[in-house]
Amino acid sequence: MPQPAGTRSGLARSLHRSLLYLAAVALGGTGLLLVVLINEQSNPPWVYLVYSTASWIWLLAGVLAWWRRPSNGIGALLVLGGLAMALGEASSSIVPAVAAVGAVFATAPLAVTVHLLHAFPAGRIRGRPSRIIVVVGYLTVLVLQFPLYAFNPAAAGLPVFVADRPDLLAAGQLVQEITGTAVMIGTAVILAGRLRRAQPYQRRVLIPLFGYGTLAVLYIPLSSSVLAPWLALDPVFLAVSQIVVVAAIPIAFALAVLRGGFARTGELEELATWLGASGDRSDLSVALASVLGDNSLELVFWVDEFGRYVDTAGGPVALPEPGAPRSWVPIDLNGQPIGAIVYDAELIADPELVSTAGRVVALGVDRERLTAALRTSELSLRRSRERLVETADRERKRIAQDLHDGIQVRLVLLAMQAQQLAIGLDPTDPTRGQAVDLRLGIDSAAAELRALVHAVMPSALVERGLASATEDLVDRVPLRTSLQISGLGSLPDPVQSTAYFVVAEAVANVVKHAAATKVAVRLTGNAGTLDLEVADDGRGGAAVEKGTGIRGLVDRVDVLGGTFELSSPPHAGTTLRVRLPTSS
Amino acid sequence: MRVVIGEDEVLLRRGLTLVLEGAGIEVVGAAADAVGLLALTERHEPDLVITDVRMPPTHTDEGMVAALTIVRGHPQMSVVVLSQHVQRRYAIELLAEKRQGIGYLLKQRIGDVETFCDDLRRIAGGGAVIDPEVVSIMLARARLDDSVIGRLTPRQHEVLKLVAEGRSNGYIANELVITDKAVVQHTSRIYDALGLPSDDDAHRRVQAVLKYLAGTSTTA
Repeated sequence: MPQPAGTRSGLARSLHRSLLYLAAVALGGTGLLLVVLINEQSNPPWVYLVYSTASWIWLLAGVLAWWRRPSNGIGALLVLGGLAMALGEASSSIVPAVAAVGAVFATAPLAVTVHLLHAFPAGRIRGRPSRIIVVVGYLTVLVLQFPLYAFNPAAAGLPVFVADRPDLLAAGQLVQEITGTAVMIGTAVILAGRLRRAQPYQRRVLIPLFGYGTLAVLYIPLSSSVLAPWLALDPVFLAVSQIVVVAAIPIAFALAVLRGGFARTGELEELATWLGASGDRSDLSVALASVLGDNSLELVFWVDEFGRYVDTAGGPVALPEPGAPRSWVPIDLNGQPIGAIVYDAELIADPELVSTAGRVVALGVDRERLTAALRTSELSLRRSRERLVETADRERKRIAQDLHDGIQVRLVLLAMQAQQLAIGLDPTDPTRGQAVDLRLGIDSAAAELRALVHAVMPSALVERGLASATEDLVDRVPLRTSLQISGLGSLPDPVQSTAYFVVAEAVANVVKHAAATKVAVRLTGNAGTLDLEVADDGRGGAAVEKGTGIRGLVDRVDVLGGTFELSSPPHAGTTLRVRLPTSS
Repeated sequence: MRVVIGEDEVLLRRGLTLVLEGAGIEVVGAAADAVGLLALTERHEPDLVITDVRMPPTHTDEGMVAALTIVRGHPQMSVVVLSQHVQRRYAIELLAEKRQGIGYLLKQRIGDVETFCDDLRRIAGGGAVIDPEVVSIMLARARLDDSVIGRLTPRQHEVLKLVAEGRSNGYIANELVITDKAVVQHTSRIYDALGLPSDDDAHRRVQAVLKYLAGTSTTA
């Protein structure tokens, strides 16, 4: 994140000063060593220059990584590797004490590289097996190195030389090779496991980095013991190639750390924010992600009245379980939980660091939380209205079915009985006429009941769906009508009933108020939407506010997330257009 | 006449059976769902099948689907579909299959048992009886959309409606309180206006009128 001048904290300024001093001291020390070695003239100056350059690369990469990601241990490890390189360089000095130090640290950079491989990306070693392998790695290059100078005639004259014992030297070399091989096999197994668990975008960074690191560690010993004799390599070429391979290690690690650990870069995220394309991600979480170097970081908000965490859009969020690759820390304000930061635990090893960041942004989080809470309320209100509509439809259907099965059947039977009573009487008997009247009365009661049931939930809608029900509706309109239906397919029940009642109410209004001579109804199903249109040639001037029927329909359409458009200029007809989303 | 009934309401099933048997119509089987109705129809090969539109298990249009299946499988069988609520589409679907021995009536019409039994006999005899409510809908639509029917006199309308319901000349004369001769005059003028062939066979005349109405009112 670009930061305006003057906003850096005192702590950051102090760290940057310390790193500058460290860089100065390290460069000064290694520079001094270089001058001394060149003056000794036991090797051509360029040999020392190449070697020093390699250790400077380690040091500079380390200081840079440390500067940019103070919370990440990779920077410190790279500096350590640079110092180990410089110490190894001392082995060719003619001063015995200096050369002795060099002999002791000759292979130390290899152990640091193994350490780096295990510590990436958080900069901290995770898991007991990793810890053991890294410790054994350091033992291999520091302790098991002992026979290689103590019993080596080439080291005679150095204070660390003990005796010329070829047998012990050979045994020592064998032990170091075996342990070294074991360390590399263990490392390969662990890295392979991490690759398997990694996300695809993480693998794009991890595979080249792990691959290169492992090959580099293997190349140093194998190039001397296997490749050089086999390919008859020039010793100078061999040494230079080894140095180049080792020098590239810190560049690879520093780049990987500086690009936010993994290649989903902060720059892209910032660009997306700047373009307003970051979508459901708040500015605050983008800022946190950038500062903490984890672009997968998410900010979630605690909503008290629902007792759960929600995202910026107000949707419910499940926090990661303990032990998952992702982890979270709560954000409190005045002792009340207000949110949480969900982050990649493999990228950020220290939860305290995330907590600190959370405390810093707590006030901002609280403000965004109110927005998120409002969205949650809105979301839950909409769900509850949807449930109300569905329940009402279910009840309507149940009432219609109950009337159909119950009282309507009873009225048919009563009419039958009344008519049979009439048939049984003499045609001259005045009671006969009364019985027929009774049957007619029952029939008209049944007709009223049919109309009621039809208004509650039309049979055609239950039996055949929206198209058939609309057709029946239009059939009964005492105006010239046209009906166009296309592409309805199968629609969810709430959409069918809402569409039907909208058309029914609109057509009823046309008949009652519009003074129209014709009405056109159109139902058009498209991908994901259903369009309804009821247009008449009447006097216009209709308004949603004028009719309670229309008002109720606007609410129903709104619940389903649809749109409602009433166009009714005076004397120019009325057109109602409704669009309903059909996918739930 | 041998009849099979499909009706899920047990009271109505029994009541209908009693009424039909009282009118001398033999009820050879009564089923409570569409599957049972098809099975009984296959077993008894009745002259007439009466079915409700809505039946278990889904209570949608299973009875209607069963009726169409029977009409296609047994063209000689007459079929009457009863419904709590009548709609034009069902009448047109039935008439599209066949125009003889077909009936579509509001369930409440059973109450007028004599008329209902007469209708059943006419249907079994090759007639077509469509509920007055459906005929009204068809006529109203034809009057709005079709200029020929719109030009008919109100009296001719009344006669046309009763013809379309499948009524006999005598019934029409009685209903409208006019002479049989007046009915014949009206009908021949109506047929001329609609361009229908005059036919002495009453059933075929009804069918021609229904075909005309079904045709003009199929605008959807």
